[in-house]
Amino acid sequence: MSTDWKKDWKKIARASGLSIPDSALERIAQSLDALEADLRPLVRALSPETEPALAFHAVVPQEAEDAE
Amino acid sequence: MTLLEAAAALRRREVSSAELTAAALQRIERLNPSTNAMQTVMAEAARECAKKADEELARGEGRGPLHGIPVAVKDLFRTKGVRTTGGSNLFADHVPDYDATVVEWLRTGGAVLVSKTGMHELAYGITSSNPHFGAVRNPWDRGRIPGGSSGGSGAAVAAGMVPMAMGSDTGGSIRIPACFCGVVGLKPTYGRVSRYGAMPLAFSLDHMGPLTRTVRDAGAVLNVIAGYDPRDQTSSRRPVENYVPDIAPSIRGLRIGMPENFYFERLDPDVDAAVRAAFRAAESLGARIVALTVPDIAAINTVARLILLAEASAQLEPHLEQRDRFGADVLALLDQGRLLPATDYINAQRLRHEMQREFAALWSRVDCLFTPTTPITAPLIGETTVAAGGESEDVRLAATRLVRAINPLGLPAVSIPYGADRRGLPVGLQIVGRPFAEALILRVAQALVPGEVPVPHL
Repeated sequence: MSTDWKKDWKKIARASGLSIPDSALERIAQSLDALEADLRPLVRALSPETEPALAFHAVVPQEAEDAE
Repeated sequence: MTLLEAAAALRRREVSSAELTAAALQRIERLNPSTNAMQTVMAEAARECAKKADEELARGEGRGPLHGIPVAVKDLFRTKGVRTTGGSNLFADHVPDYDATVVEWLRTGGAVLVSKTGMHELAYGITSSNPHFGAVRNPWDRGRIPGGSSGGSGAAVAAGMVPMAMGSDTGGSIRIPACFCGVVGLKPTYGRVSRYGAMPLAFSLDHMGPLTRTVRDAGAVLNVIAGYDPRDQTSSRRPVENYVPDIAPSIRGLRIGMPENFYFERLDPDVDAAVRAAFRAAESLGARIVALTVPDIAAINTVARLILLAEASAQLEPHLEQRDRFGADVLALLDQGRLLPATDYINAQRLRHEMQREFAALWSRVDCLFTPTTPITAPLIGETTVAAGGESEDVRLAATRLVRAINPLGLPAVSIPYGADRRGLPVGLQIVGRPFAEALILRVAQALVPGEVPVPHL
């Protein structure tokens, strides 16, 4: 696991208007850093064609009624 | 008595539903003070329901194998007129005006709902040491956790309070308590069992399934709760099958995958030995063991954790300013989910798609995989780290390490008790199949564990 850069979670929390105490942020920062460090190389290897596993399907109202 | 044994006895009029229900309520009364498995006991409603079942059975109006059988459901399944807390202080007084689909279908099948089971707060953890409703205790050793988040369901079934209790599984929450409590726990394919009316933790990872004392009982319950439900937009229209395996099914010629990477790393030696014995047993029954390299499970675990953090925090966002109403462990996870950027979540869902494709290739080589369910047996209540394979590891990460990846992949998996550690605590074997292969994994499970699971001394 390599961490090439780290985020300042306290600043992110404040900028997002989240009322998370500093003491709580200190406890979770390491876990968030590790998770993002693990994610980063995986994302770099993603093909641009890969779409999310979540799919939205447009449904006309009549089809929605039929489905029920 | 197992669920199917009780069903047969009911049909032969050797016992009544009223008697079965009274026996379940008596056992709950005796054992719940020391296990805390049950959270809301519905004694009066259960007695009335049993009486009605007996009347229907006497008229020859049988509704199937669950008719007249006392069962329980995790306290996140909404139950009409009965408090449903999700193990949370936020919902301590929540009384739904409708039944979850699973509850509705169990009732339609004639099951007698006797209790709601205790759980980890909001289903967001694996200890079931609930800060609001007390710690659920493992019937094998009441100083130990039952696992979670469906800990009450695991403990209730292990203690013989009911032959079946429903659980939910977002990152192992059926399979971990099944493993630690020595019972059968089935997580079906995503979409096979409706999520409607179950309080969500992470909508794209949540699965509903039974915990039972035999493999065949799990199949009998799946026969009732599986099927298309238009109220769950991820529900599958794929036809259901008969999921109850034969009493002595053949697994001759089946190809069983033995992972050479990840799954046998950092294990308690007793767990390692028990699971390797399962491969030998399967081979002796005519199955072929195929050693193989599985895709990067650690990477899938990262993706699963990230999706869970984001979805759970999104779900609970309206309540997150009430910080004093959450336990410390759950709050720490919810805070993490609020801080993650949306790009991380989307990229995790993109990776999930790719990993699903990679994993799918495996099924041309094997019919199912055997892995340990957890690398350890049940930890002590209050333990925050455990030694697995000589290394110290966070309890939650250790318990979920071998089960979590199966959720983003949506695959069916069953945990069955297979052997015990040096202290006599149950070891779990996880059998994973391709999508919608519930019948196959239950057949393999039944071949390995054809009878009722061992009972702890209580």
